[in-house]
Amino acid sequence: MKGFGYLLKFSYRNLFRVPKRTLIMILSLSFGCGFIVWDLNFANSGSKEIMKSFLTQYAGLYHITHPDYYDAKNKKHFNPFKTMSDEDIADKSLITKSTKRAVAPVFVSGEKKTLGVLLTGLEVLKEKQLSTLYKAVTVGRFLEPQNQREIILGKKFAERIEAKVGDEVAIVGQALDGSVANDLYTVVGLLDFGGGDLEESLAFTQFNSAQELLSMPSERYHQRVSFDVEAEELPVLKNLGVSKWDELIPEIGVSVRFIDDITWFACIIIVLVVSMGLSNTLMITFFEREQEFNCLNIIGAKTKWITISLMIEVFIMGTVAILLGLIFGLLATTYFHYHAINLELFTGGKPIIMGGMTIVPLVKIYAQARYFWQVPLMIYAFLSLTMIYPLVRVIRRSQNAI
Amino acid sequence: MQFELNHVNKIYVSSEENKVFGAKDVNINIHEGDFLALVGPSGSGKTTILNLIAGLIIPTSGHLKHGGKDITSMSLEERTQHRLDYMGFVFQDYQLLPILTAWENVEFPLQLKGFSKKEIHERVDWALAQVGLEKMGNRFPKQLSGGQQQRVSIARAIAGRPQLILADEPTANLDSKTAQEIIELFLRLNREFKLTFVFSTHDQRLIDQVRTVLYIKDGQISEARKNNV
Repeated sequence: MKGFGYLLKFSYRNLFRVPKRTLIMILSLSFGCGFIVWDLNFANSGSKEIMKSFLTQYAGLYHITHPDYYDAKNKKHFNPFKTMSDEDIADKSLITKSTKRAVAPVFVSGEKKTLGVLLTGLEVLKEKQLSTLYKAVTVGRFLEPQNQREIILGKKFAERIEAKVGDEVAIVGQALDGSVANDLYTVVGLLDFGGGDLEESLAFTQFNSAQELLSMPSERYHQRVSFDVEAEELPVLKNLGVSKWDELIPEIGVSVRFIDDITWFACIIIVLVVSMGLSNTLMITFFEREQEFNCLNIIGAKTKWITISLMIEVFIMGTVAILLGLIFGLLATTYFHYHAINLELFTGGKPIIMGGMTIVPLVKIYAQARYFWQVPLMIYAFLSLTMIYPLVRVIRRSQNAI
Repeated sequence: MQFELNHVNKIYVSSEENKVFGAKDVNINIHEGDFLALVGPSGSGKTTILNLIAGLIIPTSGHLKHGGKDITSMSLEERTQHRLDYMGFVFQDYQLLPILTAWENVEFPLQLKGFSKKEIHERVDWALAQVGLEKMGNRFPKQLSGGQQQRVSIARAIAGRPQLILADEPTANLDSKTAQEIIELFLRLNREFKLTFVFSTHDQRLIDQVRTVLYIKDGQISEARKNNV
């Protein structure tokens, strides 16, 4: 350890050989590190914020259903005859964090046109507590819990069947007993999802009205939708199916994963570019000192000693740069936590539509603890790679002589 | 402890036809307390002989021994350790580490040897005192004159009390007054502490002050002279 202490001191002193160069290397690495930490936090918070906004609007984090309700191979397909009740849920705490829905594909007839739509019966009060769907009603109003047979249509859908707020529309579908279900509903509001596809495919009514239309027993329903979007893990229910949002809307799940992966990829490219620059500078630094390495070797320093001292030198520099980088990253992350970034900056002012819904574009950045060790590890790994070639050159330099 | 070069040849081969003798049938015995100069023009082979004694290059043929131990059979790392244990070096261009103070430069080989902190302090202070720089230990090389830097280099070489000090043209970069001071310093260290010096030079002014002079020509010892000094 005594010898190692001297090695440390010797390597540390070498950093002051050309202070400006050392400073530039430290700053470039620390800015790279800081940017990566900030970027990962931004990407993570951005995708979380977007997902939170998306999931709380309508989809929910996960659906609890009858195990055979969703098709195991393609969860876009479902079987409306497979229902469940609260009796089936052993963990009653799940009931408070979720809302019941009854869902049925139906035809909606306006004055001149009839089109298919997915009609969802909602627990109006609970839905208003848990989701932000009611905020998407821009014309008319949201459903009233005490009323019956009210319907909210997507704006585009309403245009296509030429229905307006206050109009009556006829609903035709299939009840759970196999009979034809039909009734008249009053349009009370129009949903605006920013022009997304959901405006053409969704309609909502009171839960009781949907149950009545489908001849569904009062305690039965199709889905319990949880909006507990911060939950890290899904509940495990033996007798029921639990489907996460990315299984139900796989195309969005893939996009989100792609964005996360591409962010890491971009970070690795940044580190690679910085490392190549660093490798070049290290090589120049080492070559400049070749005569000195010779002298050290002549007076008794073994090649191993010289190599280790150079490695320590780079690691001291790297550690200082990483520490500074983490501080930069944390400061930038904290700043943008209090000054949310408007994602429309990146879309040229156009709205962000995801899964047929418009997303609130403000992103508050939250610092994720894991990036504060993952990024340093990645940089240390690249630093090690960076050193290989310059060190090999030092080790294999020409035979020492006076 | 004796250093011996027996029938040592060093041949540099640049092509099949082009072979150059860096050292040709060199026989030298170096004893404790010797003060020996290798003299000759540039390219005569002085530095090659110093490199051979130091074990920095391996002879093409012949034997190089220290205390009966064959240095040529040692590995590169063993030869480095051997230099650290038994030799000190003084270079023409001083070769001080710019990031270390004079004191720390002298300390460097002692740290490599693993001496205790107390012993290092005693030895560095002693060595700097011997070269007259005890009050300049905290200066960096760039804050010292050429002569002072060479003195630090000498202090570094003697601090470990090596059995042999090799110096390559130690006065070549110095003015005549400083060169004379350096050679007097060598002589004093040799006289007072029985330190063994082997150095190369082509400075005629210094040669007369040296006890044993080996004249080198084309890699060979062309003449050996003993001065009464």
